[in-house]
Amino acid sequence: MDWDALFQAASSSALIAWAALILLPRWSVLVRTLRYGLLSALALLYVTLIFGYFFSIDGGGFNSIAEVRALFASDPVLIAGWVHYLAFDLFVGLWIAERADAIGFSRLLQAPILAGTFMFGPLGLLLFHAVLAAGRAGRRAAFQGDHQ
Amino acid sequence: MISMLAAPVLARPLRAAAVLDARAIALQGVALMLVFLVPALVLQPIDPRLLNEISVWVKPAKFALSLALHYATLAWAIGLLAPAWRQGDYMRRSFLLSLCAGFFEIAYISLQAARGRASHFNEATTAEMVLYSVMGVGAVILVVQSFDLGRHILKSPRRELDAGVRLGAGLGLTLGSVATLVTAGIMGSGAVPAALGYPEGHWVGGTLSDAGGLPLLGWSTSGGDLRVPHFFSTHIMQMLPLLGWLADRWRPGQARGLVLAGAALLLAVVIATSVQAVLGQPFLRLS
Repeated sequence: MDWDALFQAASSSALIAWAALILLPRWSVLVRTLRYGLLSALALLYVTLIFGYFFSIDGGGFNSIAEVRALFASDPVLIAGWVHYLAFDLFVGLWIAERADAIGFSRLLQAPILAGTFMFGPLGLLLFHAVLAAGRAGRRAAFQGDHQ
Repeated sequence: MISMLAAPVLARPLRAAAVLDARAIALQGVALMLVFLVPALVLQPIDPRLLNEISVWVKPAKFALSLALHYATLAWAIGLLAPAWRQGDYMRRSFLLSLCAGFFEIAYISLQAARGRASHFNEATTAEMVLYSVMGVGAVILVVQSFDLGRHILKSPRRELDAGVRLGAGLGLTLGSVATLVTAGIMGSGAVPAALGYPEGHWVGGTLSDAGGLPLLGWSTSGGDLRVPHFFSTHIMQMLPLLGWLADRWRPGQARGLVLAGAALLLAVVIATSVQAVLGQPFLRLS
């Protein structure tokens, strides 16, 4: 197997997906293709790599740094781990986009939050939750102001 | 910006999904099997690990395909029942039980393949011994459930159901389930090779390897193979309903007779291939 090519293919597909999610209109066909098409493809790639290679690694496991390092010393399992990031980050990005659209968040505000999710997954999620909480607090403050 | 943030926060309320009917549950079974089928097919040319000298992924692929076919058959056959049975809780629970049994089978078979270890006839560790016997329980649940569905189709079919399909599906599911229980039970017990002094497995004599088996089916071409009668038994569940359906179309007057003749023929094939396997003869000898 050409692991480099597989890695590149997975990364490129995710990059294109994120560019589309951040820049293009939220066409339902686009969101569905990303959610059910690309995420399923990434998940199948992950499962295939795990089924094929995970259990063959001597000293591999999830219970210590040494065990996880042993897993990542294998190219196919390293790609599986990378695809895991790509798939779950994209899932979170789609979730944020859907919620943000429903609330009526500006796409201008969504862009940096989604970019943060793309680059550093949890950072984007944290930003989204912070903005949501601030919005709620602001709304409450506005109502109290109305009543005074 | 604040005005945008002031909109209701919850995007879409989570609705409790409507209770799934039996057909939807069977279709979920098909979908689950397809998820396991894809990696099992993709890995065959890539993963170099072997069991019995063939790819570890051959068995998961065969089981995923076979169980997908089983659930597709159930999804079709539930439509032959009278509405009271088709829509009732009894069938929903029975289908769910079948789904869980098949899910366990394919999950354990795939996990063991991923670990490069055998699933059937593997009693090397305590866990594997226990899980192998749980697989036996799961297999029994699968065939008891399909037997029960067949029985209900014979007893309470929907109105205006053609005679051939009714008998083909009813008899196919009951007969196929019983024949599977017997043939797979004999194979799983290991009694035949043990009585003849051969090592435990699906082979009866011949080369103790799955390499050089028949294309796709994988049956031994040098000795007896107890998987042959299992295959013909299990797929009575598809062949007989299909025969009934065809008979309704082209020979409606003789549909019942054709189905009964087909059932007798298929049963004869099961018996003949059983005898053949026990005698240590391959289904087809290729030299």
